[in-house]
Amino acid sequence: MFTKQLVVIAVFLSFCFSNAQECNLVLKGKILDFHDSKALEFAQIYVAQLQKTYISKADGSYEISGLCPGTYEISVSHYDCETKKTKLEIAQNRTLHIFLEHHISELETVKVLADVHDNHASTQSSTRIKAEKIQQYSGASLGDALATVPGVTSLKTGNSVVKPIVHGLYGSRVAIVNDGLRQQDQEWGIEHAPNIDINTASNIQIIKGASALRYGGDAIGGTILIEPARVISKDTLRGHAIIQGQTNGRGGSATTTINNYRASGWYQQATLTYKKLGDFEAPDYVLSNTGSETTAVNLGVGFKTFEYGASAKYSFYNSEIGILRASHIGNASDLVRSINSGQPLIINDFTYDIDAPKQQVAHHGLQFNAFKRFAGLGKLSMDYSFQFNNRKEFDIRRGANAGLASLDIDLQTQNISIYGMADAFENTTYEAGIDFMNQVNRPNAATGVRRLIPDYDAYKVGAFASVTHEPSEKWVLDAGLRYDRYAINATKFYLQSRWEDLGYDEQFAAFEIGREGNQIKTQPDFQYDLFAFTAGAKYLFDTHYDLAINLSSANRAPNPSELFSDGLHHALATIELGRLDLKKEQSYKVNATFHGNEGDLDFEINPYINFVNDFIQLVPTGLETTIRGAFPVFQYEQINARLYGIDLHATYDFYTKKPAEEINTRLDESLYKTVKLLSLETNLSYIHGTSTTADEPLIDMPPAQFQTQLTWYNALVDRLDFKLANQAVFQQNRFPDNNYDVSIPDDQGQLITSTVDISSTPAAYSLWNVGLSYAFAKANTKINLSSNNLFHTQYRNYLNRQRFYADEVGRDIQLQIIYNF
Amino acid sequence: MKTMKTTTKMTTIKTTNKMKTMKKSIQALSLVAVLFMTSCTDDDAVTIINEEELITTVELELTNTADATNVVLFKSVDIDGEGPDDPIITVTGTVNASSTYLGEVRFLNESIAPSEDITEEVIEESNDHEVFYTTSITGLTITKTDVDANGNPLGVLSSFQTGAIGTGILTVVLRHEPIKPNDNTLIGAGGETDAEVSFTFEVE
Repeated sequence: MFTKQLVVIAVFLSFCFSNAQECNLVLKGKILDFHDSKALEFAQIYVAQLQKTYISKADGSYEISGLCPGTYEISVSHYDCETKKTKLEIAQNRTLHIFLEHHISELETVKVLADVHDNHASTQSSTRIKAEKIQQYSGASLGDALATVPGVTSLKTGNSVVKPIVHGLYGSRVAIVNDGLRQQDQEWGIEHAPNIDINTASNIQIIKGASALRYGGDAIGGTILIEPARVISKDTLRGHAIIQGQTNGRGGSATTTINNYRASGWYQQATLTYKKLGDFEAPDYVLSNTGSETTAVNLGVGFKTFEYGASAKYSFYNSEIGILRASHIGNASDLVRSINSGQPLIINDFTYDIDAPKQQVAHHGLQFNAFKRFAGLGKLSMDYSFQFNNRKEFDIRRGANAGLASLDIDLQTQNISIYGMADAFENTTYEAGIDFMNQVNRPNAATGVRRLIPDYDAYKVGAFASVTHEPSEKWVLDAGLRYDRYAINATKFYLQSRWEDLGYDEQFAAFEIGREGNQIKTQPDFQYDLFAFTAGAKYLFDTHYDLAINLSSANRAPNPSELFSDGLHHALATIELGRLDLKKEQSYKVNATFHGNEGDLDFEINPYINFVNDFIQLVPTGLETTIRGAFPVFQYEQINARLYGIDLHATYDFYTKKPAEEINTRLDESLYKTVKLLSLETNLSYIHGTSTTADEPLIDMPPAQFQTQLTWYNALVDRLDFKLANQAVFQQNRFPDNNYDVSIPDDQGQLITSTVDISSTPAAYSLWNVGLSYAFAKANTKINLSSNNLFHTQYRNYLNRQRFYADEVGRDIQLQIIYNF
Repeated sequence: MKTMKTTTKMTTIKTTNKMKTMKKSIQALSLVAVLFMTSCTDDDAVTIINEEELITTVELELTNTADATNVVLFKSVDIDGEGPDDPIITVTGTVNASSTYLGEVRFLNESIAPSEDITEEVIEESNDHEVFYTTSITGLTITKTDVDANGNPLGVLSSFQTGAIGTGILTVVLRHEPIKPNDNTLIGAGGETDAEVSFTFEVE
């Protein structure tokens, strides 16, 4: 409005000063916080051409006058903000508001309190695994690293196939989210390990409950969030290279990660891993055919600034895993022989060869992501992903089919999700999102073996909203809601006799679409409405203690295995049958977490209780006889379950005084610094699971266990650490009786009725591990020499499905060289 | 004095053209939607799988060496394979006491037409197979008369020497990849059981 007058004055003045140019232009405006548009006082605006600095006022306003028309480089900075540099063309008076990214220190992962007890801004029970520990497991599997967290154990099929169990629940009840992408790799199978290269992870967060609503409302066990290295916006090359070798398996792995970051915002990330192992060895014998070979490639390219970004990622994971030869059996008689023999019935010399029975998996993932931050509002991001998972399983076959896979399934999943976060408000953050999933499952008919899982198409549409509110510095409240609609349509052949025996000819006659030979073609079609909600409160007593309570409720639809399973499983000589009339599971979980930090002691107590209605599990329903012999039949059924337990974690640090390098020159005396000398860390987890319907314990409940580690820092020599760890696992005395009787021919020609004891649990055991690690001062290199199961302890693990056939692995000595750059 | 038209411009540091971004977003979204709908699958009809390796039938045929018309057939048929129906066992013919019989066992897949003779594959892969016979009848001696490629017993062909009159059980077991050579016991031989059938054996 008054610029006209200004210009008039300027023109007039210009006459006075005989100046060809008008150097009275004004640049003014406000310096504001990007998130909530709040004024930033004492921001410094430095104009390079004038070599002058201007300061913003209490209302954020600034004014630069006396400018000549031209180009100016200004640099705006503020305490606790990232400096913003820009080039401006000034041809006339201009008003320019500048937004600075304020809370930069809050975005860093460095926190004042211990990193392990994460999420001071959330009420859910969660634990983080840091990069250092992940690197220690570079040659092991993801499941092995997860099992170090209290409350998390492993369900194993041999030493190479490891699935996480979170608070007693596993499989489809635990969601694994890899870099924002929910992993779809046929996780419904007990012998299906997650197809993820652990070396792509820079940070893993385990959420022990259904509170991570963004990724789905059906993870009633928990969610595992795997995060890659953060993108840094400066010119730097970061990464690591790890080589690891081990004596048990006589093999090792090599992995390298290279992250190329540029200040402009462009970045490229690559991780390559190769792992090769031969047969594992138990204390007394070779575990024949347990070798494995894994290759993984992860590539990413993207552009990221604070305000917007986009990325494209490709990941490839290929693994061939040998299954213990002695665990592939024909019928219940073979199982009895195995159980009674006490050691594997087939023991060959060590070899690197991987023969049948074995698994071969290939997992491809393609992911596109884009995000934009809106000043004064928040962030919006969009993800598209495509996953292709092919799983082949090879059994011992005969004749022309020898060497042909018995199971060959292609699973394709596409996912689009839109996520928005509004964090502009003072103490409240809102999150909302919608996502669509489309899944296509195609088993290959060329196997010549009846499909274990049928052809199916499924889709899921879901939306969630959540809010986190911090009414004061002492309180955090959060709540969330999610709805999903899940539909699955399958085309499946049933044996006519089975279809009628299950009563489906009456119950699901509508699904029948044809008959061929002695099989009936059906098209089952189901839809499920799934709801989930979470609510929690956390009270921070002071900087040392906090208490959180979280309630989460979730629905899980039955997975394809629970619905459609139909066949003989060679691993335990059982016939497993799905059930078409399964309803969704409903879980209510209460998690309480009390965390304290008192000087050198840091502890966390996490009791929990989980009621799962219509809990789906396999129960024995009888015995069937075929030409091959007798088999127990297990069918999926729904019962009501109650799980409760407690996780305890404590760390106690012992410190010592060491002379510092500096000398206080004024007083001419040495200064001391306190350094950590010893650290004692202990975890305890206990879980109690019961089927309230059958009034008996739940199967596969992890037994109570203690994990203790003593670390001696700078032991004798600087930067040399010594670790001694113990894992004590108790016997699981609460288990259901699923034993059955079967007539077995003996060598005297008689048919003897034998009890097949598949229920009894192995004895308690205690394992000792030691480790030495040395960090070179200059070279950013670390060497780890460690031994697991140092005393070559012979033991069996209740949660290893191969416990009927063989002992667990014996002593292993590992050498690992880690180079970080 | 010339009046200069000036306008105050309000700009933010990022001079984003909102229309341009919107158009780009719509383009991106539609591309994604197209990708989403077209998944790389074949829409061929789902075909039936009839298992070729399935053994539905075990037949043991005994022919009296002294009297070729004295043929005894022990047959167990479980036509639905892994299905719930139990095997149907039939015995035709009479086993005479104090006689010698030549035995031949056959493994068939009768769930497909024409039926498949799996015994051929057992013989082809003789090193990976062995048939075991156990009986509770005293006086009955069973000897395997054929061998595999390494000279170890195979058991598709056998010789049955009956003793006194009596009744008992005869069990026929086909093992896949047993330990060879072995002590001819079920426990000692190991391997995986591919067929395990028990018949009531009457010596008259």
